[in-house]
Amino acid sequence: MKKQGIYIFLFVLMVVIVVVIVTDFATNKPGKRPSNPFEYEMDGFHETPEEEILYKETRNLKMKMVQLTGITCRGEELFVTGDRNLQVIGLDGRMKLDVALPEEPLCVAVSGDRIYMGALASVMVLDMEGNLVAQWKDFEETSLITSIAVYENNIFLADAGRRRVYRYQPDGTRAAEFEGKSTDDVLHGFIVPSACFDLGLNEFGDLWVANPGKHALENYTFDGNLRGFWTSVFSDVKGFQGCCNPAHFAFLPGGNFITCEKGVIRVKEYKPSGEYVGVVAAPAKFIEEGKVPDITTDAQGRVYVCDPDKQSIRIFEKK
Amino acid sequence: MNLIKKLIYLITALHLLLAVPAMAQQRFPKPEFESGYEQPDTITPEPRSLALEYFDVAVLLAVLALASWLALKKRSREGILWLSIFTLLYFGFYRNGCICSVGSIQNVVLSFSDVNYAISAAALLFFLLPLIFALFFGRVFCAGACPLGVIQDLVIVHPIQLPFWLRKVLGLIPYIYLALAVLYAATGTDFIICRYDPFVGIYRMDAPYTMVVLGVAFLLMGMFVGRPYCRFFCPYGVLLKWMSKFSRWHLTITPSHCIQCKLCTTSCPFDAIDYPSEEKAIVGSRAGARKFLLYAVLLPLWVGAGVFVGAKSHAYLSRANQDVYLAELMIAHPEVKDDPDNLDVQTFLSKGRTLEQLVEDARIVRKKFYTGSMIAGGFIGLVIGMTLLNQVIFRRRTDYQPNPGDCYSCGRCMDYCPVDKNTAQLKTAVPVMKKE
Repeated sequence: MKKQGIYIFLFVLMVVIVVVIVTDFATNKPGKRPSNPFEYEMDGFHETPEEEILYKETRNLKMKMVQLTGITCRGEELFVTGDRNLQVIGLDGRMKLDVALPEEPLCVAVSGDRIYMGALASVMVLDMEGNLVAQWKDFEETSLITSIAVYENNIFLADAGRRRVYRYQPDGTRAAEFEGKSTDDVLHGFIVPSACFDLGLNEFGDLWVANPGKHALENYTFDGNLRGFWTSVFSDVKGFQGCCNPAHFAFLPGGNFITCEKGVIRVKEYKPSGEYVGVVAAPAKFIEEGKVPDITTDAQGRVYVCDPDKQSIRIFEKK
Repeated sequence: MNLIKKLIYLITALHLLLAVPAMAQQRFPKPEFESGYEQPDTITPEPRSLALEYFDVAVLLAVLALASWLALKKRSREGILWLSIFTLLYFGFYRNGCICSVGSIQNVVLSFSDVNYAISAAALLFFLLPLIFALFFGRVFCAGACPLGVIQDLVIVHPIQLPFWLRKVLGLIPYIYLALAVLYAATGTDFIICRYDPFVGIYRMDAPYTMVVLGVAFLLMGMFVGRPYCRFFCPYGVLLKWMSKFSRWHLTITPSHCIQCKLCTTSCPFDAIDYPSEEKAIVGSRAGARKFLLYAVLLPLWVGAGVFVGAKSHAYLSRANQDVYLAELMIAHPEVKDDPDNLDVQTFLSKGRTLEQLVEDARIVRKKFYTGSMIAGGFIGLVIGMTLLNQVIFRRRTDYQPNPGDCYSCGRCMDYCPVDKNTAQLKTAVPVMKKE
């Protein structure tokens, strides 16, 4: 290498050294530091491509409750829980029943002439007139019943506090319970980091349980044996994000799933196989860092979103 | 030896490639445990045990002793090279370049200025031992015990001689760096020697990319300019230089007497060999008396100018201090209190201190900066003045000899001397010289 080349090379290196030191000294001061590299940047997750949104909001029904917690639909009636009340409203929004309850309900299911509501370590059973006919309290102190689903004479309860699913008889006796574990360590069990633990039965009587910590929906027999599952872990709109999603789910006629996620709140549709279909309600529809809504569907494929932040039932229909 | 060098280049290149900045972040927010689960406490790694700290001191002592013996008694360049490799592996890659004597200046300074800070015995010994050895045996620490020095020493490929004036100008940087490092450490602001240590990121294989660039730039430069960090940056080198100038015993080029063969003149990649005084310089040395007087008169002016610049720049320099900066920011922009993205402000608010307390603390720090900046400025002015003065002080030399202040005792020059150390006669085989 010629000497002149070496001198040029050295000069360039000297400039690099000076620039690095001066730049670092001038910029890396208190208050002049670059933005927090560990900041949890969520903005990108709030954006949803317009073509992915398959539903539109057609109506919303303002509720006379402050803290909405659960919703289910039967026929032309919506059963909504919140505060210490159960309210039954028609699809036109007219109030049909408003019942004060002994405890704060977290979820609701209707079957035959009974209304079941889960609460903190108890289940309330009402008749269709709103009379409390039974209250099951054989739960542990840490129990938190966050979901109920009924199929014929089987009432399934999801206990987020103890990470278990119970199967009850209509008379209030516990027939079975399972944790989603197996003896050969294949199954980890339900991972429920927050009070979001949902279950449901589709029109074919298949029991599905959300395993939010694994971002999965798992299909069990009534005795708690795993039959299948699907999971969707993507950082984009197709997957479930955060610590514990899906927070809630429901079934469309035909078996497609409607899921609702917490954190970045959004409602989406998946095929029974877990294949992503599209978005029902994008995050822009909800308050940022708002409370997670419960969801339900009706026979016409409408999706009802029980939005606690807007204290209303929001109805979404296919475009 | 070539094979060893190639191996070292290969290992160093591999480490440089691996030393990419690593960043991590929590992908999702922490789960909201609501069932009695308690978040475990953050576990802080235990500091290195006291016994191992003293073991490090013992290793340093052994390396210094061995380097002294190899340089002065055994006169073995090869031995010093192997010792360098050990230092590279132990103090560099195993101990991750910490604790090092270079950075220990700041610990010592802080222990004097902050009553709440107690320096560990190991840190103090790391600071003192190389200086004590330099006082007796020259800069043997630089030769084989400094991880920052040896990594540069091992990459020297084609050293060039820098112009005298450039060496003198660049040689002022370590003094400025030392002054600033002491100022920042004394005010509890920052440990800038550690912050701008170009090689620690390589040893730890973890550094911001700018520091990796800095380290690589120094190593690339070191291929042609021997030990650029040691010569033109190292603040500890200033102290070692002072000690080494008075060293009782120092490495010599020749084991016996200089035969003026000039073979050693191109052996030193650090331009640290003093030549015998030329006849012309001896004759003209008296003419320098006037220059000497002029520079001596200018010396107080240099100091005064330094004090003035220091006093004027203290406000700017003090803004590197967290308290000073925050106090200024929160007075000028009170709305930053509501800015959740300003981590500095949010950290301050979470500590529960009041703005009045912050302002008072900042005032005390700024006062320290005022005094410290003037002292630092005066010191730098003194160094500039003395450097000029040194240029006209005539020193008579009859032999080729290592400059006791600048010589790193690496022993390269010894191999070039044809005088046999045992017989004091010419060696039978004289190394083949490649003239620059």
